[in-house]
Amino acid sequence: MSAAAVEAAPAAPSGSLIRKIAWHWRYDEKRELWIGWWTLVIFYNLYGVLFFVLARTQPPPEPSLTPAEIVQWFADRHYGLLYGYALVFIVGGATAIMNATLAYTMRRMSVSRAFAYSYLVIYALATLPGMLIMGVVCTVGAMRPDRDPELMSWLYDFAFLSFEGTMGVFLIGSLVWMTAVLLDKNRVFPKWFGYLNLCNALTEVVVAPAWIFKRGVFAWDGAIAWWINMAVFVTYTAVFLSLLRKMILREDFGTGPLPELESESTGALEAAS
Amino acid sequence: MEPVGEGGEELRRADGELILLWTLPVLGVIWLSAFLLFPGFVQPMSPTMSAEEVAAFYRDPENLPRIRYSMIVFNWFAVGLIPILALIVLQMRRMAHRTPIFSYAIIACAAGGPTTFLMANLFWLTAAFRPERDPAQTMMFNDLAWVTFSSQVGFLIAQSVILALAIYLDRQERPVFHPWVAHFNLVVAALLVPAAFVGLALEGPFAWDGLLTFWVRNIAIGVWIVVMGVVLGQAITRQRAEDEALAA
Repeated sequence: MSAAAVEAAPAAPSGSLIRKIAWHWRYDEKRELWIGWWTLVIFYNLYGVLFFVLARTQPPPEPSLTPAEIVQWFADRHYGLLYGYALVFIVGGATAIMNATLAYTMRRMSVSRAFAYSYLVIYALATLPGMLIMGVVCTVGAMRPDRDPELMSWLYDFAFLSFEGTMGVFLIGSLVWMTAVLLDKNRVFPKWFGYLNLCNALTEVVVAPAWIFKRGVFAWDGAIAWWINMAVFVTYTAVFLSLLRKMILREDFGTGPLPELESESTGALEAAS
Repeated sequence: MEPVGEGGEELRRADGELILLWTLPVLGVIWLSAFLLFPGFVQPMSPTMSAEEVAAFYRDPENLPRIRYSMIVFNWFAVGLIPILALIVLQMRRMAHRTPIFSYAIIACAAGGPTTFLMANLFWLTAAFRPERDPAQTMMFNDLAWVTFSSQVGFLIAQSVILALAIYLDRQERPVFHPWVAHFNLVVAALLVPAAFVGLALEGPFAWDGLLTFWVRNIAIGVWIVVMGVVLGQAITRQRAEDEALAA
C-alpha cells in the first residue's frame, strides 16, 4: 500500500499547471481523492452547461404544451438536444467516480460499511432515470422532427417526468448520507450537514405532485417542484464540495477521528490542487 | 475439498473465481449467437427506413421469431458480464492504492452498463410484441431501442478510463496489470466516443448502422471483453500461485 510513500517526495513545484499536476500525480498521497474531487467540480459544472445552455432542457418548459407546440419545442432546439445529450452520454459515466468519492466519505466515518455501499448503489442506479433516459428520449424526439405530434407529446412527457419525477433514489440516498453524518464519531463532516441532507431529501418529497398537476406551482416547471428543488440542490452541492475539499485536506488515512486543519494556509497542496 | 491449513480457504476462494472466469467464454458464445440470430444486426437496420419498412421488418414471419428469441436470450444473459467485472474489482483491491475509490467506481459502472443495454432490449421486445401496431409507433420503439443501444457508451468509457487510471497508479514491484492494459483501455474508450453522436445522422459513419457507431464500437467492446478476460485470467492464476506458495 505504501510503495509511493517510501520515496522521499520533493517539494511541490511552483510554476506551470502541468508541472504541478505531474507532481501531484507522482507524489501526492491523496491523488485518488483529488481526482475524485476535481471530477465532481468539473462535471457538475459541465452538466450545468450541457443541460441549461446547450440542450436548453433546464429550466424545464411547461407540461401543458399542445402536441403542435411540443413539435415546435423540439424543432427550436434540434441541434442543442442532439449535441448536448451526445456530450452528456460521453461524460455521463463520470458519475461513477463522483459517487465513489462521496461513498468514500462514509467509509472514512466511524459507521458501518453498509452506508457507503448503499449510497454507491443508489446513486449508480440514479444516473439512468435521473439523466440518461431523458437524454435518449430527447434524442429520439429530435432526430425525426416529422414524427406524429401525438408520439412527440408522449416522448416529451416521458423525458421530463423521468427526469423530474425520479425521486426515491435521491430521497433515500440523502437520508443514508444524513444518518451516516449524524452517527459518525470521526468528525468527517459537521453535524449541520446531516440536516442539510434532510432538506435535500424533503425537496424530493414535495416534487411528487409533478406526476399529477400540469399547471401551477406543483407542476414539473413550477416553483415547488423545480425552483425550490434546484435552489436547495445547488446550495447542497456547493456545500458538500467545499466540505469534501476540507475533508481531503484533513485526511490522514487512519481510522480514528479526522485531525482538524491547523490553519487554512497549510500547504501548497491546496493551492495547487 | 478439505481445507489445507490456513491456505485452504484462499485456494477455494480462487477456485470459485476461476469458475466465474470460465463463464466468460460460454457467455461470449451465447452473446455472439444471439447477435447473429437477431436479423437487425447482421446487416444493421438502416435509420433511413420508412415507418412502413420498419413495421414490415417486424411483421415479416421470417424475422419475427428471430427478433423475439434473440432478444429473450439477450435479456437472460445481458447481465452475465457483471461477475467478470466483479473479478476485475477484486484485482483492483490488490493494487497499491490508498483508497477504494477506483474499485467503488467500477462497481458503479458495472451496474450502469448492462442496465442501459437491458433498456434497449425492452424496447426491441416491445416493438416485436404487437407488430400489427401503427407503423409510426413501431418505428418509435425501434428508434428508442437503437438510440439507447448505440448512444449509451458513458459507463463503458468511464469503466475503461477509471481502470486505466487505477493501473497507472498501481505502483508496486509487480503491478496487478501491465501498463499496456491501461493504454489499451484508453484506446477502447476513445473508440467508443463517436457512438454517442448517433442522433445526429441517419446516414454515414455516425448513423446507428454506420462504420463508427456500429462496427467500430461493437468490435471495440468485443475486443475489450476478450483482452480483459485473458489478462484477468493471468492475474487470477498468478494470485493463485502466490497464495499456494504462501500456504506451502
